[in-house]
Amino acid sequence: MTTASLRGGPEPTARAAVVSGPASLARRAWWRTPTAQRHIFGYTLLAPAALYVILLVGAPFLFSLWLAVSDANVGDPVAHFVGLDNFRAAWEMDTFWIALRNSIVFLVVAAIFKTLLGTSLAFLLLQSFRGKKLIRGLVVIPFTLPIAISVLSWKWMYDSQFSVINWVLSRLGLIGTYGSESWPVWLGQPHLALAACIAVNVWRTFPFSAIVLLAGFTAVPLEVLDAAKVDGCSFLQRFRHIVTPMIFPILMIGFLFDTVFTLSDLSVVYLLTQGGPGNATKILPVLAYQIGIQAGNLGRGAAIAMMLVPLLFPAMFLVLRNLKRREW
Amino acid sequence: MARPRTAGEKARRRYVLIYAGLVPFVFIAVFPIYWMAITAFKQEPDLYVMGNVPFWFNLPPTLKNFRTLFYQTNYGSWIVNTMTISAWVAVITLLTAVPAGYALARLRLRGSENLGIAIFMTYLVPGIILFLPLSRVVATLGLQDSWWALVLVYPTFTVPFCTWLMMGFFKTVPMEMEEAARVDGCGQLGALVRVVLPVSLPGILTSVIFAFTLSMQDFLYGLAFVAPGDQKPVPVGVPTELIRGDVYFWGSIMAAALMVGLPVAILYNFFLDRFIQGITGGVVK
Repeated sequence: MTTASLRGGPEPTARAAVVSGPASLARRAWWRTPTAQRHIFGYTLLAPAALYVILLVGAPFLFSLWLAVSDANVGDPVAHFVGLDNFRAAWEMDTFWIALRNSIVFLVVAAIFKTLLGTSLAFLLLQSFRGKKLIRGLVVIPFTLPIAISVLSWKWMYDSQFSVINWVLSRLGLIGTYGSESWPVWLGQPHLALAACIAVNVWRTFPFSAIVLLAGFTAVPLEVLDAAKVDGCSFLQRFRHIVTPMIFPILMIGFLFDTVFTLSDLSVVYLLTQGGPGNATKILPVLAYQIGIQAGNLGRGAAIAMMLVPLLFPAMFLVLRNLKRREW
Repeated sequence: MARPRTAGEKARRRYVLIYAGLVPFVFIAVFPIYWMAITAFKQEPDLYVMGNVPFWFNLPPTLKNFRTLFYQTNYGSWIVNTMTISAWVAVITLLTAVPAGYALARLRLRGSENLGIAIFMTYLVPGIILFLPLSRVVATLGLQDSWWALVLVYPTFTVPFCTWLMMGFFKTVPMEMEEAARVDGCGQLGALVRVVLPVSLPGILTSVIFAFTLSMQDFLYGLAFVAPGDQKPVPVGVPTELIRGDVYFWGSIMAAALMVGLPVAILYNFFLDRFIQGITGGVVK
């Protein structure tokens, strides 16, 4: 069958109608026409998914805008409009600024490390060698484990006394013995705690970076590279002018997805430190949870969660632009 | 004689370099799992002796941690909850995402491209923004403190993702098959059910797997909506119920983590490429 008949050709129903006799076509009401029938059928099929998304994502999103400007409380079902009070209260809260700063530090530092690790791993996995499938399967394990589960293993490895990391460091003579000044308490010292949380995020997502990058590399047709080589392009030129532009959209999407997931993830920090010691690892999602659910102040919590939107919005906008440029 | 040997040497050196480069990555990736496994089978006293080498058993291995889990905690219920929740989520996801994906990919609806993107974008609205309003929804429906709350909210991320996935999948099914079915007298629904769905089984199976694995990846909703100990799914029950104040039952915690984490990781592993393909918009072959 030709492409023309696939895309621009007569409707299957139209053809069927022609087979069954053209006279019946004229007598049909507008909603009996093949196009209308197809649209009715299509929107009916689409309706359940669309409704689910509208009712449980769209409406709650709007609802959370309302919560953010109300004094909604877990105990009190009636909420009143309070304007920007919640935002002002958050604005005046030291913890909010600490959480915002930590969120940004977390995002940026983690992104740097997972890019470095992910790129090196992708280059290694690009080579051909024996046992590649197995090794690839092993290195992506961190990403495929449920996060709340793998964090527990890290919490045990960061134990204040029986940390296996400290055991090794101590045997190597890099740190003193338990109780000495130089014995790191990973989750108990402010700077170490933030670094420890970031490390878990990097551990979990560097395979993702590597796989996305790898997917990008393998999407570059070899013929194009060979042609460029024949034309006398150096390795760097080929990389700069062919590989980079071709894999850029995929990289962008991977990067943006990771931004959204890292910024909005609460489980790593919540399970490791609950934002402590002090507020050293408090990030916006943890703060929103503690105020919204634990303290029961839905309005204030929603306002803090909403503060993530300006951070997330550019990422989402860029994903959208990238997807729209896709071939359909 | 000299030439093949240098070539062989070169190849060998290349291999050594590649493997040497990969070893640290594999080690970093796998060690936490190994640590989980060895801890799960260790006796309690074996965990807390600093003089011993912790990487192997200093006392004989034991199954006690697993027994504790099943006899003295709600672990059994959590597994049942997790499986039931995931099964329901998979059913809801299939009933909504498969028809929607088909409609968007095949029926040339007006604005189907934008509709598809709009549905997919909702996958990017993070739980942290939705969980407070959803807590109200859950409370209004009287579902708080039961795992049914999670059956209601997990499709908020599985439906957009799987719709997108199925949309990409249906695009790869040749149009001819459907048209042949129509010419042979099938209705629109008949063509879908009798011809398109059977050849799309791999895609449908992928959607089911994602409904399961994505449900397992959640922590926030379970933490926020389900308080009673026997109603939690595993990823929420283990960290919240097996830690009592400052007392950590590391052996049991690691046993619990291992038994659920490993199967999920292995399953997800096989479908990871589909996931990446899904989020990068299906350009990747």
